Amino acid sequence: MKKVISVCPYCGSGCKLNLLVENGKIVGAEGANGVTNQGELCLKGYYGWDFLNDTKLLTPRLKQPMIRRERGGEFEAVSWDEAISYASTRLKEIKAKYGPNAIMHTGSSRGTGNESNYIAQKFARAAIGTNNIDCCARVCHGPSVAGLMATLGNGAMSNSICEIEDTSCILVFGYNAADSHPIVARRILAAKKKGAKIIVCDPRYIETARIADLHLQLKNGSNMALVNAFANVLINEGLYNKEFTENYSEGFEEYKAMVAKYTPEYTAEITGLAPELVREAIRMYAAAPTATILWGMGVTQWGQAVDVVKGLSSLATITGNLARPNVGVGPVRGQNNVQGACDMGALPNTLPGYYDVTDDEARARFAKAWGVPSLPAEKGYSLTEVPHLIHEGKVKAYYIFGEDPLQTEPDLGMMRKEFEKLDLIIVQDIFMTKTAMMADVILPATSWGEHENVFSSADRGFQRCYKAIEAPGDVKDDWEIHSLMATAMGYPMHYNNAQEIWDELRGLCHLYTGATYEKMADLGYIQWPCLTEEDPGTPWLYEGNKFDTKNGKAKLFAAEWRAPLEKVDEAYPLGLCTVREVGHYSCRSMTGNCTALQTLADEPGFVQIHPDDAKKFGIKDQALVWVSSRRGKVITRANHNDRVNAGAVYMTYQWWIGACNELTVDHLDPISKTPEYKYCAVKVEDIADQKWAENYVRETYSKMKADMRKAALS
Amino acid sequence: MNRFVIAEPQNCIGCRTCEVACAMAHAAGQDAQPLNPENFKPRLTMVKNATVSTVVLCRHCEDAPCVNACPSGAIVYRNDSVQVLQERCVGCKSCMVACPYGAMQVVSVPAAPTGLLKSRTTRAQALKCDLCDGRAEGPACIGACPTHALHMVDHDQMEATLKKRQQAVLDTANIQL
Repeated sequence: MKKVISVCPYCGSGCKLNLLVENGKIVGAEGANGVTNQGELCLKGYYGWDFLNDTKLLTPRLKQPMIRRERGGEFEAVSWDEAISYASTRLKEIKAKYGPNAIMHTGSSRGTGNESNYIAQKFARAAIGTNNIDCCARVCHGPSVAGLMATLGNGAMSNSICEIEDTSCILVFGYNAADSHPIVARRILAAKKKGAKIIVCDPRYIETARIADLHLQLKNGSNMALVNAFANVLINEGLYNKEFTENYSEGFEEYKAMVAKYTPEYTAEITGLAPELVREAIRMYAAAPTATILWGMGVTQWGQAVDVVKGLSSLATITGNLARPNVGVGPVRGQNNVQGACDMGALPNTLPGYYDVTDDEARARFAKAWGVPSLPAEKGYSLTEVPHLIHEGKVKAYYIFGEDPLQTEPDLGMMRKEFEKLDLIIVQDIFMTKTAMMADVILPATSWGEHENVFSSADRGFQRCYKAIEAPGDVKDDWEIHSLMATAMGYPMHYNNAQEIWDELRGLCHLYTGATYEKMADLGYIQWPCLTEEDPGTPWLYEGNKFDTKNGKAKLFAAEWRAPLEKVDEAYPLGLCTVREVGHYSCRSMTGNCTALQTLADEPGFVQIHPDDAKKFGIKDQALVWVSSRRGKVITRANHNDRVNAGAVYMTYQWWIGACNELTVDHLDPISKTPEYKYCAVKVEDIADQKWAENYVRETYSKMKADMRKAALS
Repeated sequence: MNRFVIAEPQNCIGCRTCEVACAMAHAAGQDAQPLNPENFKPRLTMVKNATVSTVVLCRHCEDAPCVNACPSGAIVYRNDSVQVLQERCVGCKSCMVACPYGAMQVVSVPAAPTGLLKSRTTRAQALKCDLCDGRAEGPACIGACPTHALHMVDHDQMEATLKKRQQAVLDTANIQL
């Protein structure tokens, strides 16, 4: 038996593991002594690899290129030559007719790796000539990147995952570590054991609330008001660090004026929190010699998200909790390589290494290196704007790489309608997905485990994955597929291996220059910035209190609180918030094909409802129910849950039958364009004929799976 | 003293890694894909209420209600633990009724076809924690728990804990009422 070092392909914790390989097949996984996981894994790490054996539990692996010559027609298996020629010819026609900006691309924040994301954005920028590339950071931590870039100059976690356990106070804001990152949850437990104070701001009594000193069960949609109230108390009670604020930040006077009215008494009605509790919490944070703020989707998936991120960043700034070990701001990234896709420039506004597309010097340097006369200077489209841009006739072709927007974007009914209007949909993936079912061209790729690559964990840590097994069928590495496409489009690209790509990237981005494959060998962990080959990397940012903004100062920021877009009313009396479930990941195409994880949790999922609401609406525990919003209606199972607040219900987003994104609203943060997944008005209704409902779930699910199997095996 | 596995609720994050580890350790075949809804039978259960998350499983009682209740002698004391001899189980569920921890489950599993007609048949099994009897590394759940919330308690460890607590009394020796 051979052990192959890899990094878990699920959340952003960056857990190193050994894949156990026998006769060319993976037979198990064990924890390896990585920097963030210290030999531990959660259930996804231990049991999340057997999708590689093409179990077909949920969807089949894609094993051959396919073309659908007519919408609604059958897929036709073709050779790679034919698939590339067909796809590139049609893309060329669209580019000639409508211009390069009519073509949209995605990067992939999932198992494919950094090298392929670098190539995907190079394809968009150099071969097509557009900045229209984005990744699913848009629907998760996009606001964190945008907010922190503006306030501190770097969009990533300021400090390391390992440092969490040595901080003396953790402010957990809209972040359920136990379900999203069990391996980070370990660090919070460890911090508690070492005496840290824990403050949790979350409408639900999440696992971390169990060990918290204070739990602020704020009303859904009141984040900005609470963050402003925190700032108000810090300033009014003189608890902030005046020396740090004065010397290393700017904008204090405007900031102070903006939060002036947000006394805890003023915000009590908005947040539902007793003023004294708010005071006690922020006093605790301010009193700690070292304090860390961790946040997740509870902060970012709102129509007002970037503002809240900037507000949290300002709390850390005015208390001097930045620029040293065991402090900082921690947007803990959800997908294993969403940090990496951003690092590689799979974003519409930045080149690899976070050079702005409007930066003439950077653009000229990249253009020269890539052998093109120039690169586009205008910001590209965001992922979440795509349906509207299709509607307006501005986007005609969509090259989707390792993502499943028809499961993960809001208001799926509207998405499907707009997708049908596209002239060309290219899907490059490892599994048949709901999105791939609508494709005109399917380009099948190798999976995590079948190629080597580098991932970026949530705390900027580059780590290497080695190839464990050969891929099945006639598939190619993602970077090779994009290279073939580019070449066919008239922009020759060729690489022999992933390391050649990595070295090209290092040569172009000063932040990554010193992160060589050699240094990342085996269990090596290199946190960028890593400027030279001698540089061991940077566990915490802003040494010497120098921020990465233009003038080196941190920007302070507050904004007026805005209520969520939709209001609950008589017809739709409950607020729906979409959340995560520990055993499944993203759109479920990977975990849904893992025997253990699929067996642990399967369709139609649950709607978590407070027992008081359940009683009010006549909802029995474990019964199938209808959940509907102004946009759609789905069946799921009721879960009476004492840990959720009355007035709100919670659903996880990976189910096909209980697909909460049929219900969610397409309301975007004005800056980051992140949808308000955390709030829409719904109603929950009892179903009298449970037998019919059980049958409906079974039949619909079987049919969806059968259709996908049939399509993939054409 | 019988050994048993116990969970520390303060360290449990409700992630169910232990349930999968248990089901995997007990699934037939041990090949790459042993699990399916039919054989997914973890012998421990993660439970949550409003404020606690923890795992319930067999305490391997010294005077075990399940042993006393079993009419077919299928539950026995062996190797400092309580074990079920599945071939003797008739599926009467007396053990399930008797167990105060809700740690016993009686399930039907497909059995090899027997008799002239080779018809498909099922047989009963009484499932509970067997401490991964025969597994060299010990209970799979303990090794898999990412937050080290599960521990084996045996005679020596129990003695050590008692000693520690008795010693702690000394710290209160100067208390006056």
